[in-house]
This record gives sequence, C-alpha cells and structure tokens, in this order.
Amino acid sequence: MCTGSAIALRFFDSPTSKPGGIDRVTDTAQSSLAHSAGQKPPFWRNVTFLKWAVQIVVLALVVGAFWFLAKEARQNLVDKNLEPSFNFIEGPANFQPGEGIDTQPDTAGRALWVGMVNTLRLAGLGIVASTIMGVMVGLARLSNNWVANKAAGIFIETLRNIPVLVQIILWFAIISQLGKLTPESGKLGGSFFVTKKGISVPRIFLADGFYQWAALMVVFFAGLLFTRRKLQAKQDREGGDQKVGTKLFVLTIVAAVVAAIINPIMSFLGPVFDEFSDIWGDIPRSLMQTALSLIAIVGAVEFIRRFLNSRRTPAGLAKLDDDDWFRMIFAGLLALLAVGFFWKAWPGLSSWIIHSGSDFFGVAGDKFGDGRGARPFDAMLPTVTDGNIANYAKTGLTMTVGFTALFLGLVFYTASFIAEIVRGGILAVPKGQSEAAAAMGLNRSQALRKVILPQAFRVVMPPLGNQYLNITKNTSLAIAVGLSDVVQVGQSVYNKNNQTLAVFAIWIAFFLTLSLTISFVVNTINRKLAIVER
Amino acid sequence: MSDTQTLVTDDAEEPAASTRPEIPIVPPRRWIKENLFSSKSNGVQTVLFSALMLSIVRWLLSLIFAEASDWTSVTTNMRLLFAYNYPAAQFIRVWFCLGVIIVAAMLTMGAWNAKPEFSLRKMAISTTAGGGFLAVIWFMCTVGFGFAPLQKVDGMSSGLRLGTFLLAALLIALGLGVLNFVHEPHKIWIKFTTMLFALTGSVLGFLWLVPFGRYEFADGEVINESGTVATSTKVPWTYMMLLLVGAYFVGRWLRQFIPEANYRMVMIVWWIVGPSFLIFHVLRDPAFDMGYVFRVDVPMALAFGLGGGALLYALAKPGRGEIARAIGAVLLLFAAYNWLTAGLGSGHLFGWESMLQKARITFLMLSFAVLMAPTFSGEPAARRRFAYGWIGFIAISHWLITGINTPSTLDIAAPPFLGGFVLTLAIAYYVFLASFPLGILMALARTSKLPLFRVMATVYIEFIRGIPLITVLFFFSIMINLFLPNGMSIAELGSVFVGYTLFSGAYMAENIRGGLQAIRKGQYEASDALGLTTVQRTLLIVLPQALRVTIPNLVGQAIGTFKETSLIAIVGGFDLLRIGNSTIPAQSVFQGQKRPALLFVCFVYWVFSYSMSRASRRLETKLGVGD
Repeated sequence: MCTGSAIALRFFDSPTSKPGGIDRVTDTAQSSLAHSAGQKPPFWRNVTFLKWAVQIVVLALVVGAFWFLAKEARQNLVDKNLEPSFNFIEGPANFQPGEGIDTQPDTAGRALWVGMVNTLRLAGLGIVASTIMGVMVGLARLSNNWVANKAAGIFIETLRNIPVLVQIILWFAIISQLGKLTPESGKLGGSFFVTKKGISVPRIFLADGFYQWAALMVVFFAGLLFTRRKLQAKQDREGGDQKVGTKLFVLTIVAAVVAAIINPIMSFLGPVFDEFSDIWGDIPRSLMQTALSLIAIVGAVEFIRRFLNSRRTPAGLAKLDDDDWFRMIFAGLLALLAVGFFWKAWPGLSSWIIHSGSDFFGVAGDKFGDGRGARPFDAMLPTVTDGNIANYAKTGLTMTVGFTALFLGLVFYTASFIAEIVRGGILAVPKGQSEAAAAMGLNRSQALRKVILPQAFRVVMPPLGNQYLNITKNTSLAIAVGLSDVVQVGQSVYNKNNQTLAVFAIWIAFFLTLSLTISFVVNTINRKLAIVER
Repeated sequence: MSDTQTLVTDDAEEPAASTRPEIPIVPPRRWIKENLFSSKSNGVQTVLFSALMLSIVRWLLSLIFAEASDWTSVTTNMRLLFAYNYPAAQFIRVWFCLGVIIVAAMLTMGAWNAKPEFSLRKMAISTTAGGGFLAVIWFMCTVGFGFAPLQKVDGMSSGLRLGTFLLAALLIALGLGVLNFVHEPHKIWIKFTTMLFALTGSVLGFLWLVPFGRYEFADGEVINESGTVATSTKVPWTYMMLLLVGAYFVGRWLRQFIPEANYRMVMIVWWIVGPSFLIFHVLRDPAFDMGYVFRVDVPMALAFGLGGGALLYALAKPGRGEIARAIGAVLLLFAAYNWLTAGLGSGHLFGWESMLQKARITFLMLSFAVLMAPTFSGEPAARRRFAYGWIGFIAISHWLITGINTPSTLDIAAPPFLGGFVLTLAIAYYVFLASFPLGILMALARTSKLPLFRVMATVYIEFIRGIPLITVLFFFSIMINLFLPNGMSIAELGSVFVGYTLFSGAYMAENIRGGLQAIRKGQYEASDALGLTTVQRTLLIVLPQALRVTIPNLVGQAIGTFKETSLIAIVGGFDLLRIGNSTIPAQSVFQGQKRPALLFVCFVYWVFSYSMSRASRRLETKLGVGD
C-alpha cells in the first residue's frame, strides 16, 4: 500500500478496529432487527425515502439557484434595456469577416454562418493534416534508426510542452515578418506565393457540372461495389494475387473520367428536385408538429419496451427497483417535454424545418437544372490585385496570415500528441503478431499495413477521437490572430448589438453539436472495430 | 540530464548496488553501424533526418539572431515578464516567496527521502552531446556550409561566438575525458549532494564571472553596459542557491527528529495552504488594523474554533450519530438562510443581514463539519484529533480571509498586483487546487447509484467538455456580474478563476472516474461487510485507492492547466504571454518587437511543463502504476 492511504487511515481513524464503529453498526443492526420483526422502519430510516429526499432537495437547490441567477440576469438586462432575443440574426451585420465563403454578409446570421464555415474548414483540415503528420512522427519514433528516433522524440517533447496559444501567436509573429507581397513575388511561374500576407496557391473549385457528375458517380459507385464483391469472391476461390486493389483503382479512375464527359445526362434530376421542393413546402405545420411529436413518443415507448424486455427473466418480469422506475418515468417525461416544446414553446421549429427542407430541394433543383456547363471541376492561378496596397485576388486558394498561423500551430501541437498515441498503439500490439506475419512471408511494409496497423488502430481510436475534439475546440483560439471563426464573429456581433447571451447560446449550441457529432462518429467506429467476444 | 536519473529511492537508505540496472557497453564504431547504417534504408534515414534536423536548427538560429530581433527587449524586461508591475522597491517580497518555495521543495524532498542518483557514464554522454550541439551552433554561426539551405547564420555577436566555442570545447573535453580516462564510468553513480554542489557552483560562477552584460530598463531608459549581470540579479540568486543547498541538508536532518508520517502531513498541508499566504500576505502586504483585528477577528476565530471544536468533540461520540445529523441539518438551514438573506438583501429576521461574510462562511463550514462528525466518531483520542483539525482549519482560514479582506499597502501603478509569470503560476495552482474537490464530487456523483445525481453530473461534465475553454472564460469575464444581485460583484481575475475552475473540474471528474472504475467490486463488498457507512467507505476505502491510480493522469492535467492559463491573456489578464505579445511591443523603445519575447515565453513554458512531465514519469515508475 502506498503511504498516502496509511496517512489517511491514521488521520481519519478507521472505525473498523475501534469501538467508534459501533454507532453505525448498531444503527444497521437496529433497522435489520426491526425489519426482521416485520415492523416497518420509521420513514427517516427508510433508505429509499432518504435517497430520494436527498436527491430531490439537492435538485431543488440547484434548480432554485439557476432560477435565482436567471431572474437576476433578466432583471439586470431589462434594466439596461437589453432584453435577450434572437431577432438580431435577421438584422444587419455591420461588419465584414476577414475571409470565408462571403466577406460581405448582409445579416448577422449570415456572418455567423460564415464564421461557422471557417471553423469547420479549419477543424476538418486540421484533423486530416495532424493525423497524417502524427502518424508519420509516431512511426519515426519507433524507427530503429537512432537519428530518426531522436528527431521524432525532440519534435514531440518540444511541441507538446509549449501551450498551443503561444505557438499560434509565435507563428503569427514569424509569418508577419516574411517578404512583402508584390506581383513578382510568386514562385514556380506565379502559381505559388508565400509572403507576409499569407499563402496563396492555385485553386481547384467545383464547376457547374459537379452535381451531375457526383450523381453519376453515386450510380457508378454501386457498380464498383458489386465488381469488388465479384473480384473478392474470385480471389477467395482461386487464390493467387488477383490484384483486386489495382483493378478497382483503375476502374474508379475510368468511371470518374467517363462521368466527367457524359454528366449532362443527369440534368433530368432538376425538375424532379423542384417537384420535391413544392411537395415539401406544402406540408402544413401541424402535420410536421404531429410527426415530430410522434417520433418523440414512439422513441420513448420503444425505450421503455426494450428496457422492460431487458429486465425479463425466464421466471417472468424481474422486480423493478426505484432506479428502474426513474429511468422509465424520465424517458416518458422527456418525450412529453419534447411534445410540449414542438407545439407550445417553439412552433417555429416545425416551420423552419418545412422552409429549409423546401429551400434545400429548390437549391438542388437549380444545381441540376438544364443549361449547366459540362465540366465538374475547374482551376485558377493566384493573382495579385493592383493598387496602392497589394493584396491577393480571389482567384487563388489563399490562406491568410491568421489562418496559416492557426493551422500550423494547431497541427504541430496536435500532431505531437497523436504521435505519442500512435506509438503507444503500435507498441500495444503483441510482438508475436509481427513475428507471425514474418513467418507467413509478409515483408515489413505488408506486415505493418495488414497486421500491425489494423490492430493498433483499435487501441488508438478512443484517444485519437479526444484529440479530434481538442483540435475542433481549439479552433476557437482564432480570436488571438484575428481569424473570423464563429467565436470572433460572435464577439464582433455582440460588441455591435449587445446581445451577448444570445450569441453565447449560439456558440454553445454550435460547439456542442460539433463535439457530439465527432464523439458519435468515433464511438460508432469504435464499436465496429471492437473484438467480438462471446 | 534528467534522462540519467535513477528512481527516487524510498525506503532503503542506501540502494544496494546490485539493484541498479546493468548498462550494456557498446563500442562507438559498432554502435554507429548498428544504429545508423545497419541497412541501406537505415542509412538513407540517417542522412535524411540529419539534414532535416540541421536545417531546422539553422532556421531557429536565423530567427533568434535575425537583425530584426532585438534581444535587449527581453533582457531588460525580465522583471516585467516575471512579476509585471510589482514595485521595484518592494521586489524583495518576490524573492522572499521564491526562497520560501525553494526551502519547502527541499524539505519535501527530505520528507519523502528523495535523493536521486546519476550515472556518470550517461552524464558524460549527455555532456558530450550538449557540447556537440553547441559546436554545431558555433559552426553555423561562424563558418556555415556552402550550399543555400545551410548557409552561415549572421548576427551572433563575436563575444557570444567566443563564449559558445569555449563552452562547447569545455563540455566536449569534459565528457570525452570522463569516458576515456575514468575507469569503468558506468559503475560510478554520483550522489545528489554532489550534483547540488556542482549546480550551485556553476550557477554562482556564471553569475559572478561570465560577462553577460548589465541590462536594465528604468524610467524608459535602456541600460546596456558590459560586465557581469546586474547586482539586483546576482545577489538574490546567490542567496537562493545557498538556501537550496542549506534547506536540502536541513530537510534531511529534520528526518531524525520528526516521525515520517507527521513530516509528510505537514508538508502536504503546507503545499495546500502555503502559497495562499505567500500571495495574499507576502506579495499583497495587507495593512492590518491591529485594533480591529484584536477587537473583532481574534475573538471571532477563538469563539468559532473553541466552541466548534467542543461541539464536534461532543457530537463525534459513538451513538450520537442522529443527534449530530439533526444539529447539522439545523445549522445548515441556518447557514443557507443567512446566505439567502445576504443575497436577497431583504432579511430582517434576527438582524443577521449585517453579519460579517467571514461568519457566514464559517457557519456553513461548521454545519458541514457537524454533518461529518458521525463519520469520524471513535475513541477520545480520535475525537480530539477531529476537534484539533477543526481548530487548525479555523485558524488558517480566518487568517487568510482577514488578510484577503484587508486593503493592500502596495504602491502599484496598475491595479492587479499579480502579473507576469507569477500570475500564470498562481492561476494554475488555484485552478488545480479548487477543481480537485469539484472533480471528486462530480466523479462520485456520476458513478453514484442515485439517478438524479448521476444525471446532473453527466449533464455538467458532458456540457463543459463539449465547449471550448475560451467561450467559458468569455462568459465568466463578461457575463458573471449580470447574474449577481445588485451590489455584488466579482473582480475580473476572480471571475476568470471561477470559470476556469468549473471547466477544469469537468475534466478532473473524468480522470478521477477512470480511477474509480479501476476499483474492484470486492472492495465495496468488503467494506459493506465491515459495516462502514457510505461516506466512510468512500473516504477510507475507495478514494485512496482510486486517487493513487489516477496520479499520472492528474499530473498530466496539471500540466494542461498550466499551459492553458495562457488563455487568460485573451480575456484581459496580464500573464506571461500577454506581456510578451502586447506589453513589450508597445514600449516605445522596442516598437513591434514580438519575436524575441515570444521565443522567450515559449522557452519558459517549455522548461516548466517538460520538467513536470519528467517528474510525473518518474513518479509513475516509482508507484508502479501505468504499467
């Protein structure tokens, strides 16, 4: 035993070896005596009663405290003439995000949307880049080459011990002192700019034919899956190397090229989507409310049914304790609450679903409409605007200084953690596995790809998911480098109209949705990967 | 260097030589062949990674010695970076705090009988490697390679070049000398005391002999003279180094007189309470009104301490459990009523609304203690210890609260008396300390059998873990005063602290929950069989085991907390990062000088988190957890 618990024992004086313990023992003894004599214990000694009394009192205190604080906040806001409301979303933006899908948004809601897209972009790119970098560094850390091993070790130990915010700000300071931007400062024939205004590279973008092309690809993909199954069956039947992967790769390329040529044939989908849009838009609100309520109620009923089934034993339904009852009542109450929410508290939700669904199909109809160009993708070289102050034009894919600093800081920091996770995961695969792979005649890279990594992946996935969550949340540090992410835009919005509480609600909803989505995806992968045991 | 430390020895006074790991000795030629050029791909890797490393080092050197980087912005602003606006005339208080912390750390080493030893061979290898690294730096800054990516780095002053060259030569000579001329260096282990003396000697030598130059920044004037470092730097550091050595021997000497368990207990209590005294009594320097203190504060503390102690002693007697709970409930109601009337500002019953805040807090604490009394019941000696614990708690908490409530005598230009690295450390320390009980509570609630508690804890933890720290800090720094009743407000730093604690508590809860899940069912069943109450089972059986398993994760979280304090720079605190990123570049002499200060900030953060993570790895090995 460690000394900590020894101290604790001396300090708290365990009642077990001393007469001090008698107090509780007699309490228990009395109640059990009373119980055995067939008398009911008085309610203040009834464990179930005490349990619920304590819980309800604490819940009441918590709810009371929140109610009190909310009341004060409301009063304070009303005193300052700042009743919280979400109406500002439709109001003017009054400011311009530095970058994003729309640098001149009309409304504050649109500006927030631009910020959200920037956050998502950064998180997505960051996750991909830090995973690639982390895996590479993690593998180098395990290399039997001394230099590679030590270099990876220094990378990890340096970067993970410096706060990510400090790294981001340092990158910002470094990039801000790069060379000046002029039309001549481009490299490789003007297709590549690295200056104090950020980085600009050629941009590949979705052209008009993209949606038809994507729809065709979905069709082709079904065919490819079918081919894969056939090829795999042949491989299993005949043995040898049928080169399944190579054949599928070539077929995919061919499909993509063919689809790029013949994609206008999919334009018949345009009117279909328009029709869908009309039908969806004609749904009455009450129908949508009924449907949503039905989903909630059916969900609760299904939960209770499954719960009861899990308690059913061959001898009949097991005795339900208060905890079981609590779960079922809780599920029912949640469903009722949801119904009340749909009908009374926020009927606008149903209207919103109807409108946005209709809009969605309408936009899809436009995208597939006739007269669209045939090319699914297009590309443009970066250029520099003329004028007194040189700036990047919108032709290239430009990473502003803020974006580059934040991206580099997040990726290097997170990669140092991912590298350690990958290393741990690979070390967790028993040595016998790589020996068995070698005995079967696989070479090192085959053994790594087909035996070690798939098993390491299982260990790596949960902590990797945590790192993805961290990188997503850390994008909010954009505010330190003036990048227009959802937090920075939100701050600009509430500095203009003082709707601080509403903006906080939007932030929280956005980040919670994002986090829950990521953990849902990671958990699903995890479940799929888990070793199936008896 | 910490690479070479052996495990901290605990019980055995002198570790037997046979327990030390045998280090295989490989001749250099074979080592190079095996580790660098064992196969073709291995050789390619060696060349590739060496080139990569060299170009990164060169790039860093070019950042450091670039013409645009004015390092006097850092060297003259050391005081600002570490203690912000703390008045220079009273700077001795900062040194005093540092001295106390050094002494306490050394005494703690004594209490745990820690005396790490170092392998001479490994140290010689590290010394040679360090010398080699310096030699590479010297080479790059003086000669450089011919081709473009590894060209000579300009900007290093000739004096610094000479110093680097000399130091590199010295280290290489020392390392190689030990390796070649000492008989069997791998069998020689250097004692910690030797290392301590060597460290002190070299630090003092560097301070008093090497001409780094005198830098100061006073009244907008930059002083930059040649010579050794300023007297205001080298004299205090000399005292600190002497304290370090002295306190180490005092700590070992005290072991002979104080029973080990008591010694450790005192040190633990000191680390929980001591920093608050340093911050609120030494650094903040409250102006006590002695008359008021003796008229009000001392009698109040005496009444609560002695009265409460007597009450607890009486109620902890076996068989009085239900009376104690009843009295505790009444006291709790009374305390809650008091807080409510304070909050609503409308309580006129008994005229208690004018009660001192300190009394309100103490009543609440007393009610909790009374409710806990049956848990601590036992024979008179145990009950006395319980009562003494209460009296000690009252003495410490009343002294602290009185100090915090008294106005400060400091003469500071800008209001926050905490700033710079001191603020970083203080926030990290308090957040960790405060989120610990919160985390334990939430972890227990989340694993509890009581469904409502479980739901509440789960909602809290998952909610906090789903949103970024910066939104929480914004919320608390902007909004908290909106939620408070009229007339009540929290200082800026206080609200940031509250928000950060709530945030950190959720992560702490998840860490501790991991420890709780590692406890076998048999432990619960055994404690039930012994007739322990739930509280006793949790305090005596479950938590000690769970926390022990959690220690590595907790250290990891402490490092995380320390690193993330940099976010308070965004919400208005003048911490290390804020000073490096905006205060120094705003000084008229150093207009726009960001890079040197930021590199320095990186270095400070790195040194602290790296040493913490090394320490945690040693602790992990010693405790035998994590395998």
